Amino acid sequence: MNDTPSSGAQPTVAEKVFTFVDERVGLKLLAAKMLNEAVPGGSRWAYVFGSILLFIFGMQALTGVLLMFYYVPTADHAYASTQFILHDVDYGWFLLSYHFWGSSAMVLCVFAHMSQVFLWGAYKKPRELIWLVGLLLFAIVMGFGFTGYLLPWDQRAYWATTVGVEIMDKMPVLGDFMARFLKGGATPGQMTLSRFFVIHVMVLPASLIALAGLHLFLFRCAGPAGPFRGTPTELKAKTDYFFPRQIWKDVVGMAVVFACISAMAFWEPVVLLEEATPDPGDYHPEPEWYFLFMFQHLRLKMFSGEFGQFLGSIGLPSALGIMLVLLPFFDRDSERNIFKRPLALIGWVVLTASILLFTVSAIINRDFLD
Amino acid sequence: MQPQLKSKVRCTDGEVGEVSKVIMDPLSHDVSHLVVSMNGEGERQVPMGAVLTVANDVVELRSSSSEILRLPPFMREDYVTLHEVEIPGLERHIHVTPGEVLVPFPELERNVKRRIFFAKLTYATGLFIGLPLVFPVMKFLMKPMYASLDNRWLKIGNTGKVKTDDVGVQFQYKRTVKEAYLPEAEIEKNVWLVKATSSVLEKVYQGKDMEFRDATGRAVWTNKKDMPYLAFSGKCPHLGCAFKWRKHKVLGQVFLCPCHLSIYDASGKVLDGPAPRPLDLLPIQVSANGDVQIIDMEFKAGTKSQTRIV
Repeated sequence: MNDTPSSGAQPTVAEKVFTFVDERVGLKLLAAKMLNEAVPGGSRWAYVFGSILLFIFGMQALTGVLLMFYYVPTADHAYASTQFILHDVDYGWFLLSYHFWGSSAMVLCVFAHMSQVFLWGAYKKPRELIWLVGLLLFAIVMGFGFTGYLLPWDQRAYWATTVGVEIMDKMPVLGDFMARFLKGGATPGQMTLSRFFVIHVMVLPASLIALAGLHLFLFRCAGPAGPFRGTPTELKAKTDYFFPRQIWKDVVGMAVVFACISAMAFWEPVVLLEEATPDPGDYHPEPEWYFLFMFQHLRLKMFSGEFGQFLGSIGLPSALGIMLVLLPFFDRDSERNIFKRPLALIGWVVLTASILLFTVSAIINRDFLD
Repeated sequence: MQPQLKSKVRCTDGEVGEVSKVIMDPLSHDVSHLVVSMNGEGERQVPMGAVLTVANDVVELRSSSSEILRLPPFMREDYVTLHEVEIPGLERHIHVTPGEVLVPFPELERNVKRRIFFAKLTYATGLFIGLPLVFPVMKFLMKPMYASLDNRWLKIGNTGKVKTDDVGVQFQYKRTVKEAYLPEAEIEKNVWLVKATSSVLEKVYQGKDMEFRDATGRAVWTNKKDMPYLAFSGKCPHLGCAFKWRKHKVLGQVFLCPCHLSIYDASGKVLDGPAPRPLDLLPIQVSANGDVQIIDMEFKAGTKSQTRIV
């Protein structure tokens, strides 16, 4: 081990503390083990999304905890306390808006992260478990979004939840139970708010921390997949350790994301609609942008009627989910080059294009509603 | 077989030293080099390509001892130890130590049967703690889920507000709700009233009175087929949004839900969009002076048949 040779000078207090801890837990070894991870083929900007997601989650946790100092999760105070945060508490508007835009950034980065893994073929053997846990994490992130925007208790919150829970109700067998379980009754009210609050601030964060830990552990077990091109010799020549080049790229990525979220929070701070009521007045209910494509495709004629609706709201999304779960077990070809996997490439392009198409058409559709 | 530490190293012209270190390739997980301690003449790094055979405690090289001596000396500072680097699954791939490091099994731990018994006992205790909790926890969480249906009549306004036939008019009203221990609260709701002409009434009732029953099948109310006022629940039967009375370019005056664009005519019939069933009619009575009362019902959205939930 590379113990620094004694220089004869007296160690400073900081050095003494470090040595004290190091003797007991092996700090140096731990740090070396964390940082000296070979990245096959070298560091890349494409690999930054995992670290960025961890960073965004950390910031969401921090801003979330801060918001809870003022927020009151009751039907008669949630709206007023959120308005109080926005208008009266110093920098409340910024923290709340950061939390709001942070959730959008999280969804975008999850999409980027999953796309990178998919396109690089990094879900293939021996990394199937990392992929599966990743899918659970994806579901948790969407759950965060869904439970989060009920909390301000404004019209958007109320109606997005009403429709979202009705969609859940369409699940076979368990649907009715799940919908009532989430709502804590037949219609959204205080019980719904309490439940969503607990799920948003306790259940999901705990699950996310546990699963993200597992995700990282599994990642360390299997090691990074590396690029899909290049002979072993070429890869070896370019290989470096996680620290410093990859960490540097990750940190730059975090800084960029932080700057973007802050800028959005600054220029487009959260503005609440009117307080939630079961009577929307002139408000046209619409979910958050990352659920818009789902919202828009349910408008299609082909998803009309009881069966069509089941198909659109439960059938198709579940089928897609099941396909993603089974992907590493069916796609057993060891070829990872995306340009030699035409089906995968076409699948990704079609899915991404249709999400974009439906999102954009939902936005265009707004103009025709008034 | 992987070359082991401390193995003698033999060149074409005799023994030159022993294996003092082994160097791994972090990507392929194979041994890439041997470090040979040259009997007091320093260490040399020998690539595995130069190795002819590997036996239990001898490594034979293809080269002569002078060729090996000409190799550059081994540079320790270019390497880190296994403990300082993260290489997945390395322990499974590397078998280069000449023996194992062992720890004695405690005396009391040698009875294998008892270990299995205790493992099972641990699971059993876990179940003993966990299983009895399932039911209370579920009941705890389910407390507010199934409230009984409420068949009170609510006054929502006066028919004087309805000026034109076959046109949807929104009536807003307040309904008191009591959730859990909370004080009674009022929530705003709305229904749509239509004063229907006989053709629309015929479409709705098809010549029959409409009977409303509660969960037990007991009749609650009957809407008479010739009573001209229709009350539609404000909840869209597609996915539960709130619909409005709007002018449509092609279809004329219709009920339109802005969420998923379901369109209904004045009788509640689906004209276009994804809705699976017509708008939900509510029990209605109109007194002689025009006061309207309804029973506030909500039905599950998205199903072909009606399932009442409120």
